[in-house]
Amino acid sequence: MNLAEGVQIVSFGILSVMMLGAAIGVVLLDSIVYSAFLLGGVFISIAGLYLLLNADFIAAAQVLIYVGAVNVLILFAIMLVNKRQEFQPVPRAWIRKAATAAVCGGIFALLSTMVLSTPWAISSATPAGDASVVVIGLHFFSDFLLPFELASILLLMALIGAVVLARREFLPDDDFEKAQAEALKLPERPRELVPSGRNETVK
Amino acid sequence: MLKFLKQVGDYTKEAVQAGKYIGQGLAVTFDHMRRRPVTVQYPYEKLIPSERFRGRIHFEFDKCIACEVCVRVCPINLPVVDWEFNKESKKKQLNHYSIDFGVCIFCGNCVEFCPTNCLSMTEEYELSTYDRHELNFDSVALGRLPYKVTDDAMVTPLRELVYLPKGVLDPHDLPPGSKRAGARPEEIVESEK
Amino acid sequence: MNPGIDLQGSFIESLKSFGLPPGVAKVLWMPFPMLIMLVGATLGVFTLVWLERKISAAAQQRIGPEFIGPLGILAPLADGLKLVFKEDVVPAKADGLLFTLGPAIVVIPAFLSYLIVPFGQNMIITDVGMGIFLWIALSSVVPIGLLMSGYASNNKYSLLGGLRAAAQSISYELPLALSVLAIVLMSNSLSTVDIVNQQTGYGILGWNIWRQPVGFLIFWIAALAECERIPFDLPEAEEELVAGYQTEYSGMKFALFYIGSYVNLTLSALLFAVLYLGGWEFFVPIGTIAGFLNISDTTPWLQVVAAVLGIGMTLLKAYFLIFIAILMRWTVPRVRIDQLLDLGWKFLLPVSLVNLLITAGLKLAFPVAFGG
Ligand code: SF4
Ligand code: SF4
Repeated sequence: MNLAEGVQIVSFGILSVMMLGAAIGVVLLDSIVYSAFLLGGVFISIAGLYLLLNADFIAAAQVLIYVGAVNVLILFAIMLVNKRQEFQPVPRAWIRKAATAAVCGGIFALLSTMVLSTPWAISSATPAGDASVVVIGLHFFSDFLLPFELASILLLMALIGAVVLARREFLPDDDFEKAQAEALKLPERPRELVPSGRNETVK
Repeated sequence: MLKFLKQVGDYTKEAVQAGKYIGQGLAVTFDHMRRRPVTVQYPYEKLIPSERFRGRIHFEFDKCIACEVCVRVCPINLPVVDWEFNKESKKKQLNHYSIDFGVCIFCGNCVEFCPTNCLSMTEEYELSTYDRHELNFDSVALGRLPYKVTDDAMVTPLRELVYLPKGVLDPHDLPPGSKRAGARPEEIVESEK
Repeated sequence: MNPGIDLQGSFIESLKSFGLPPGVAKVLWMPFPMLIMLVGATLGVFTLVWLERKISAAAQQRIGPEFIGPLGILAPLADGLKLVFKEDVVPAKADGLLFTLGPAIVVIPAFLSYLIVPFGQNMIITDVGMGIFLWIALSSVVPIGLLMSGYASNNKYSLLGGLRAAAQSISYELPLALSVLAIVLMSNSLSTVDIVNQQTGYGILGWNIWRQPVGFLIFWIAALAECERIPFDLPEAEEELVAGYQTEYSGMKFALFYIGSYVNLTLSALLFAVLYLGGWEFFVPIGTIAGFLNISDTTPWLQVVAAVLGIGMTLLKAYFLIFIAILMRWTVPRVRIDQLLDLGWKFLLPVSLVNLLITAGLKLAFPVAFGG
């Protein structure tokens, strides 16, 4: 085993332990902020694994999109919404739990069949290396055109939806004003204003 | 379509204008860079305070008649005049006099109105202490004369703007014997004769 | 194009000539670039801090640091020493772990991005194929660190500052990436070395700034915003937020933020020089001068001169841009948060999209001038 292989194996071990640990942390930790930060750790470790697979473009894209955008947005949402609520037992909570369990089990089963059915032989095709961007681009515009376009349409829809939400012109006026007026008025008995000039004191 | 194009054009014009203004601002800042610094390296160099500088107040104990005018004209009734009526001489006798320079605003009213001219303003401005109560000067401390900047061997005295020759802005490296702009008081006296 | 000086090759060769096996020589070489990068980046920060103080002083008709070393050159060092020896306070009820981790996450990507800054044909730490994309990806990690430190400080100003910083860097990442994309489109490669090589040959006339005047402005504005330089320094706006996410920090942790912001500025300026000002290219192509003086391209001393000139040119261009950034600091007032986001989303983003579109069109129309 030469130097490069040793480094690869060690870093693979570190990355997988990091990823698994962080993923378990995301699920098990009580503090939601910690979970969100650990999610970033998971994404970064996955990017590291991509790097080990010689897919540096995917790795960089993973960091850019998942860590730089998705995770930051999650954190944003968590930090902007700081609502503390009493815990209320939900009636028939077991339905939810059962549904979750079913979905998770199903996904796990699907993934395991995929893992088991994939032939894991190392492909003999030469890795694209630095030219991977070109290869990916060619695939996008030939055999993966439909999914690519669908994804862009989905993103476009999200974009327009965001714009529509953000520039919502209809605000229920009376509700809004009432809430504001109540919030701004101090619980005080109305008082006469103190006259400031000399003229007012005369009358 | 035309309206939209006009909007785009207007917007571009505004953006270009904003860019132009930022450029002008940068030019101003750049121009400032080639001006000489106006810094006075304070503990080593000090400006000579002007003749009418309103610094720490000087007080002459023996001249004071304890009339308390200074207290009445002071906006905050600051001077503390402690006197006793002397039955024999039928005069007020001053025991203590103090001004707290932590509170004084150096307005000079007391100096202006003192009937016996026992108050005067000095050129001392270095009034920093570790404890603000140290700024409460009693009659002894008030009677001390400040140390002149020009007498201090450790300090390079620099002339203030009013003492510089006409058109000169930098007090460093003045030619010896350069006189300030305008006539000096003695010259005015001379010409009046 | 001659290969220029191959630092790695010659280093390993010289070690091998001492009788070391090639493997050991390579292992010995490995930490070297990282060390050079760290030292270089830190030195760059010192220079920048000194320049910032001196230029600011000049712009305000002051003298600036004067007594610490000749012309106050050691002032940044004194700053650093002061910060090292300061007490490291973690506020009560703050989240100690995240509080410590935050500055590290902010600083590490900035230093890592130095990997891709080329100073010459072979004077680059790694010529990764991703090049400029790596920089964009790495700098997108920074907001996490900012949010982390803002949240962990347990202080409303810090939290607001962190949120603002994150919002700012996400919204300016897009125009930045789009304007870089236009450059990439012209040079057909993400690698920084290729981007510079594509601009070589015509001296000052070949630089991308002539082909991408709009992209150049967008990049500079966005880079200033990413570095939180003054027109866009809302996250630490002293008058409103005390110091934003840095409010609770002191000592070495604060120093990390401080270094991070300056490293970022140097890095942006360097990359700006690489992307738009022809990197290590001299104003007149060196080959032409050599041909004019009848010197062969492969003369060893010419190569050394070219390498030194390359480093000098890159630094010169970068520091010229930094100079402009510092002047800008004393010229323009800070924008409001809504103006900032308006500028980012409603002005820079559409303009940079249009710029990208036009570049693509021009590339199809004039493949000679815009890279084919
Ligand atoms: S200078 Fe003004 S404030 Fe000070 S003691 Fe005299 S009258 Fe009062
Ligand atoms: S006004 Fe002058 S004389 Fe009268 S009490 Fe004050 S200091 Fe003394």
